[in-house]
Amino acid sequence: MVVEPRTALSLRGVRKAFGPIVAVAGVDLDIVAGEICGLIGPNGSGKSTLFDCCTGLLRPTAGRVLAGATDITGWEMARIARQERLLRSFQKAVVFRALTAEDNLVLAGQMTAFPGLAATFGCGQNTRRRVRELRDRAGVLLERVGLAHMRHAKAGEMSFGQQKLLQFASMLMPEPRTILLDEPFAGINPVLIERIVENIRAVNREQGVTFVIVEHNIDVLRDLSHRLVVLSRGSILADGDPDAVIRDPLVVEAYLAG
Amino acid sequence: MPRFTVAGQHFAGQLASGALIIACLALFPLVASSYQLSTLIISMVFLLPALGLNLILGYAGMLSLAQMGFFGVGGYTSALLAMHFGTPFWLNFSAACLVPALLAIPLAIPALRLRHTSFVMCTIAFVFILESVSKNWVGLTRGDMGLSSVPRPRIGLWSGGFIVHTTVQYYYLGLLLCVLAVAALVTIVRSPAGRYMIAIREDEVLAASIGGRTWHYRLAAFVLSAAFAGAGGSYYVHYVTVISPSVFDPTYTNTVLVVVLGGGVGTIMGPILGGVVFIALSEVLRIAPELRMVVYGLILTTSVFLFPKGIVEPLTAVLRGAIPSRARGSHGR
Repeated sequence: MVVEPRTALSLRGVRKAFGPIVAVAGVDLDIVAGEICGLIGPNGSGKSTLFDCCTGLLRPTAGRVLAGATDITGWEMARIARQERLLRSFQKAVVFRALTAEDNLVLAGQMTAFPGLAATFGCGQNTRRRVRELRDRAGVLLERVGLAHMRHAKAGEMSFGQQKLLQFASMLMPEPRTILLDEPFAGINPVLIERIVENIRAVNREQGVTFVIVEHNIDVLRDLSHRLVVLSRGSILADGDPDAVIRDPLVVEAYLAG
Repeated sequence: MPRFTVAGQHFAGQLASGALIIACLALFPLVASSYQLSTLIISMVFLLPALGLNLILGYAGMLSLAQMGFFGVGGYTSALLAMHFGTPFWLNFSAACLVPALLAIPLAIPALRLRHTSFVMCTIAFVFILESVSKNWVGLTRGDMGLSSVPRPRIGLWSGGFIVHTTVQYYYLGLLLCVLAVAALVTIVRSPAGRYMIAIREDEVLAASIGGRTWHYRLAAFVLSAAFAGAGGSYYVHYVTVISPSVFDPTYTNTVLVVVLGGGVGTIMGPILGGVVFIALSEVLRIAPELRMVVYGLILTTSVFLFPKGIVEPLTAVLRGAIPSRARGSHGR
């Protein structure tokens, strides 16, 4: 019996235009559940816009986005995160600067611990227990990404690289299914890059989390990804095995040489 | 076996200092003059809407200048109920919290579509509308004449009970209301919802990306801030026993802003300290009526330069110095 691989995320003719400027020009893409898919392309090729369309930050001008079998086109970002456990990071290291590392993680975990709106206003024993569990889980994850010593430090006081690690750890809090990472290795030192890479591999292997990673660091991406997709001028230029894609003359011309 | 977290230890410390402050304030009438108590009563009148402003601005990150509009609505609600139905204070007070909160919902629907300065403008407009309604709905509010002879607070379950009339009694009633309001604020900001509000203040898109229903929490902050303001209006109207459209005057809004911003926005102690210090200061300066506002303005300016985060800042620094770093959480549980 042949089992069809399940798709984590499907894009059907996704197009996004800002007035006359077409950022994404009708993309069809299926991300298989459990894979690590690299997404590369020159600046302005529509990678981040594509992420925005998948996660509800932008509404596609045309086309559909599916998480598993659910059509999530036009859903709000928070609903996509909550119901589909489709999470994303942002290009800049975005963390809640005024909160401690632990509280950043607790916040990210609240969507699983307190699924209903009313429950978040609770202050009783049950609420305190669930928050305590989140703190315990946050401790484990901070340990895992090597930030245990920064647990009670304000996120705003952490270095850029540490903030990126914290952002990554935050996304692991709510038991994610799919994580879209927008330039996770930009601007951080090789040691921290290696730490994030190890964690991506481990989370993918142990929990089956699907990753789509936008990144300019081709060398890291080639080693890490199971598959590489190249976007150019809002369309898919190449898609397949990372080594083959990188050697593709079209890709070399459009991206790597330029 | 009980487990003590760093946050828990910190909170226990805060609870202990809170209890100490309440004890001192409860004993204050033993040594204070009636004038000093009246000043503190005014502080408490402004503290209630200030706590609401602190919630929406300090925790949810939205500057609402509609606080004194909701304060006025609360005041009118409480006064009208007491005058027409002779209802006890607890009922007037509850209605004064509820009516502005309900009114805030339809107002929030357009307002929450806006951000930053546009939102501020929208909240100013609400106060203009409310002022105009209070002036022109003569049948209900008696227009510019306002409502006078508002009954004093009657403490009783339904009929009977005792009437609050001395300054000391008003002081204790205010203290009780403020303690309850501060406890409510602490409960809200320490809840998961409060954490989402802080997240929205910090970065709304990021808050949504981790599943935060940002619109709902912004609405909750707006509605709850209106309830706090209404509470202040109720206490105020039964203290001064009159209310007129002048309650919507921007001067009152400015006072609430001074209490919150000057005290320390986004902290629990800030507005409490701000309420006591800045209102007392304004009263003390009555000794030189001509120079009063000039000196007040200069002191405010100086305080902003010295303590940009509010006068709670040096106090926090002193407390931090007093508490060993271990208890503050320099390492894990």
